[in-house]
Amino acid sequence: MHLPVHSARREGGGLTNTAIKTASEILLVDDNPADLDLTHEILNKSGQHLSVNTVGDGAQAIAFLHRTGSYAGKPLPDLIVLDLNLLRAHGRDVLSEFKANPEFARIPVVIFSSSQASSDINRSYDLGANCYVRKPGNLFDFRNVVRSMADFWLGSASLPQKET
Amino acid sequence: MQRILRGSVISMLVTDGKDKTRPGLAESSADAARIARPVGLAVGMAVGLAAAPANATALAPQEENNRRGTAVLELPPGQTARADEKPVGEARRKLQVLAVEDDPTEIELTMLALQRGGFDAVYAAVQTREEFTERLHHADYDVILTGYNLPSWNGMETVEVLREEGLDIPVIVVSGYLGELKAVECIKQGAADYVLKDHLLRLPDAVGRALREKKVREEHRRDHEDLARSNRDLEQFAYVASHDLQEPLRMVAIYTQLLAERYQGKLDENADKYIHYAVDGATRMQVLVKDLLAFSRVGSQGAKFRPTDCAAAVEIALRNLHAAVQESGARVECGPMPAVVADPTQLVQLFQNLIGNALKFRGSEAPVVSITAEQTKQEVIFSVADNGIGIAPEHADLVFAIFKRLHSRTEYPGSGIGLAICKKIVERHGGKIRVESQPGHGCTFRFTLPGEKVGDLRTPR
Repeated sequence: MHLPVHSARREGGGLTNTAIKTASEILLVDDNPADLDLTHEILNKSGQHLSVNTVGDGAQAIAFLHRTGSYAGKPLPDLIVLDLNLLRAHGRDVLSEFKANPEFARIPVVIFSSSQASSDINRSYDLGANCYVRKPGNLFDFRNVVRSMADFWLGSASLPQKET
Repeated sequence: MQRILRGSVISMLVTDGKDKTRPGLAESSADAARIARPVGLAVGMAVGLAAAPANATALAPQEENNRRGTAVLELPPGQTARADEKPVGEARRKLQVLAVEDDPTEIELTMLALQRGGFDAVYAAVQTREEFTERLHHADYDVILTGYNLPSWNGMETVEVLREEGLDIPVIVVSGYLGELKAVECIKQGAADYVLKDHLLRLPDAVGRALREKKVREEHRRDHEDLARSNRDLEQFAYVASHDLQEPLRMVAIYTQLLAERYQGKLDENADKYIHYAVDGATRMQVLVKDLLAFSRVGSQGAKFRPTDCAAAVEIALRNLHAAVQESGARVECGPMPAVVADPTQLVQLFQNLIGNALKFRGSEAPVVSITAEQTKQEVIFSVADNGIGIAPEHADLVFAIFKRLHSRTEYPGSGIGLAICKKIVERHGGKIRVESQPGHGCTFRFTLPGEKVGDLRTPR
């Protein structure tokens, strides 16, 4: 039987991650620093036990998951919040790359985009997105959406268990 | 006879050709040529009928009472109406002819007439439908010259073949005497012109005119395509602009709101006021951009037309307006509705906007909205009537303009997009919309949707 190299590495990484029962790791991918800041801030105040990493473009997101370059030693996220319109590598490409890689395929990806286009929504689900959330246009709704995202994914939902 | 005929054709074409004046030809000669042209025609006919001598000037006495006749003599020095001379200053025009004719002599005569008329004509000759179609596939022709009834083919079928092939090439029937009825019939069937074999000198003119007409047709077609393209571009622009504007606008809105939340009362009174203005402006602009997007979607994202039950459209519209109907205590009456061929979603939006409008612009009494439809032979006339505040007749057209509002936002909220969308929907369906009203007496919106009866009438529940 063929065992992918990645999965072996993942098991090792999983061990260290789950050994110390720490906060949920969230990776925010967005090229808009304002959205990154605000989302980060709202998540921190959400009351969930979490730790947030942020990256500003698609290429960085891919590097982060592979933990290459400056991302060596970074934890594999439990949840990825991904914008679609990213510089270098579009969010769609990042998504399909994640979902095509057995090491990352299980990690839930929430698409968080301002696009309401049905083509963007459907294509995201086709590529394996776990949820599509539209970025609201005002602070009140934005805060509610990010809070409920944190409540649901980190509170109600059972996330994939890191293999030991 | 043939010798004389040729000669006379040639001489007449000398004067005739000059109306296609090019820059560089002296003005006086241009005038002379313009005047001389009809003489050529007259003479040509004379030649055809009476085998007159070959020299044009020799015929002048016949025309001596005719002012135009003298024009021939007014040709500038150095230009004579000689049989064997080419028109001076005339750029010769290349002409690819497809001749549907079985008699080589006829073709030769025809081509000669064209050569002498200022055309560098080359031709291919065919005799059957198959040959004709084959030729069309392999070369571009400027003009089709066809006999009327050839032994192997009826030349008028060329028109039919061209139509099938989607080609716009003028067809000129060159034939012996047919009689008026048949000649008219040729034109009706789509021939550009009809030239008698005996009057071949008229052919270059007929060809010139047919080519000009084709050019005009092409220009019209191009203009039409340009217009359609520019409409599409404009719609695309509105869509992209409104779509792409949303993103930065979202940042402005959220961060001014955050600013207000965090720093309200911590700066000075003016700062609070300015932040409020910024928040208000950004929020309003968000509504405008969203509405503009909705407006542009009517044209760019509309669905295909299909048979649509208008009663169902009214039912859905009323369901969507449920809260507004309840809140205003409105009574909505709807008569029997036909089915029409339309975009179902847009039809719902149309009724919803019109009914919603009636509820919004209500007077002091509870709104009463009455919806009716009347099927005529070619169209359905719908009306949505209310007992609201009404519209002054001079504002009747304004209400359909995009972002046009007749009241302040505090009196009646909204960006002024609803009726503009209605108009766009109706027009996309090939109909018309207008409003009849007197202030204080409610108003009636009437719109038409073209189409014959599709199904039975049904009254919405």
